[in-house]
Amino acid sequence: MDYNILDNLKYTQTHEWVKIEGMNAITGISDYAQHQLGDIVYIELPNIGETIEKGSSAGEIESVKAVGEFLMPLTGKVIQINNLLSENPEIVNQSPYDKGWLIKIEILNLKEENDLVSADEYKNIIEREDK
Amino acid sequence: MEFIPHDDQTIIEMLRVIGVENINDLFRDIPKDLLIESLGLPTGLSEPDLSKKMKQLSELNHVYDSSFLGAGCYFHYIPSLVDFIINRSEFYTSYTPYQAEASQGYLQAIYEYQTIISRLTKMDIANASMYDGSTALAEAIIMASGVRQKTTILIIEGIHPEYINVIKTYCWGHGLNYKILRIEDLNLELSDDIAAVAFQSPNFFGEIQNIEKLVEKVRLKSPSCLIIQVMTDPTCLGLLKPPGDLDIDIFVAEGQSFGIPPSFGGPGLGIFTVKQKYLRKIPGRLVGKTKELFGDQEGFILTLQAREQHIRREKASSNICTNQALCSLSALVYLLSVGKSGLEEIAKQNFLKSNFLKKNLAKIPGYEIKSKNPTYNEFVIKCPNIDALIDECEKVNIMPPLKLTYYYPEMKNLALVCVTELNSFESIKVFLKAANTAINIGGVKDGF
Repeated sequence: MDYNILDNLKYTQTHEWVKIEGMNAITGISDYAQHQLGDIVYIELPNIGETIEKGSSAGEIESVKAVGEFLMPLTGKVIQINNLLSENPEIVNQSPYDKGWLIKIEILNLKEENDLVSADEYKNIIEREDK
Repeated sequence: MEFIPHDDQTIIEMLRVIGVENINDLFRDIPKDLLIESLGLPTGLSEPDLSKKMKQLSELNHVYDSSFLGAGCYFHYIPSLVDFIINRSEFYTSYTPYQAEASQGYLQAIYEYQTIISRLTKMDIANASMYDGSTALAEAIIMASGVRQKTTILIIEGIHPEYINVIKTYCWGHGLNYKILRIEDLNLELSDDIAAVAFQSPNFFGEIQNIEKLVEKVRLKSPSCLIIQVMTDPTCLGLLKPPGDLDIDIFVAEGQSFGIPPSFGGPGLGIFTVKQKYLRKIPGRLVGKTKELFGDQEGFILTLQAREQHIRREKASSNICTNQALCSLSALVYLLSVGKSGLEEIAKQNFLKSNFLKKNLAKIPGYEIKSKNPTYNEFVIKCPNIDALIDECEKVNIMPPLKLTYYYPEMKNLALVCVTELNSFESIKVFLKAANTAINIGGVKDGF
């Protein structure tokens, strides 16, 4: 199965993607993740202003058959959340890297960027999991 | 779909395919010392002999002419329509409706139950029901703690003592703290650290609380605190303001009064309702109405199942994965049968008859009304000699009121008396006569 992986993004072991923009970052879930979840019906996101540690739960993505946790790829302060998703959560299925972004944060610990994996490394992670 | 048990020939065939000699070989992994040789059951009886034996057993029951006992479990009239419908085998023997295409009838019944409860209570959402009032209250507390991410609950005095025991158990299991306090002390304890305030109205002693004042207090001092109301006899909703009009966040109740006999204290029906904003946090089943994918036909399904523990696991609000289907159907049929005006009439009779008895008991020397607030169908009365009253009731075949020392040893000579629409004026007169006779027996017992 061919999952879409964008080369210009960074990823986590838990299938989140990160786009670094200076001091800020935009995050979301990968194409593989949305595919595993199935039709997404509801997304719960944190409040703007909240500071969330790397690896902590920053929301819940509910599909018809499962509930997945969205884990913060980097420690950050929430500066924006994708408001389109409350009415149209299926956007995450349709466009996980673009219109289906989840949270925009102000990065609080730049060193953590080193823990993120590249597109190639992420491709290997999926291949191992998908067996 | 008929149930066809296996015949001997089929069993032999199946064992042969599996590769064992007899059924016992399928259990050979169980240590021999754990196997039960025999259950010690008597030999079977023929149907006439069995009938006779059951009749003898049933004659051990004592049936009272009337009852003045309430305390969480009530005698109300059950319209014959209830039994007629729930005894249909499609309802009586059917299993849980996980397979929607084979369960449309039951799913529709549950949907209608949810709808009628929502309309009656004026709460936005009602679930498919919990086990009973006590666990519904405990689950409401767990849910509130999850919503608020706080671990302390305030419990107003006057909640049914057995419900408090259930709350204690659930709190212990979930690592929550609770504090029982008088309504007067609420202001001292309210803070932003409180998950919820829970109260009962009418309370265990029958008293109707000033809910508007309580809600105002909480909203002022602790605006994000959840307010939970519990009720043990919801027939009072035929008379009192519904919780949806009183800004209650979670309303739970024991639904036994809606068409379910008292039996031996169960089964019950846990009514569970919430405001719209808590929809995704509500425990238990939810039935929804929808349309088929290719077509226009309407149908019913279990919905929002991702809340439930078989999907959300330890993150779910609750581990419940069932509902009291047959009891909720009884409640639905009861409410449809009596209708809005019928429920109003029932509530009025409960209120008028119990207050009539209350007033007339107080006229008898030695009896004193202990209820401070107005009461619905239960009240507390101080007796000159409660044991004598109970004896006199038994003598005239009346189920006596509750001796409050049963729960509260310090409440000597206090009785919790319940009067419902089933108590005729004749039976009330008999009770008053028994109360009169009781004052002439013995001296005043130790007390106050």
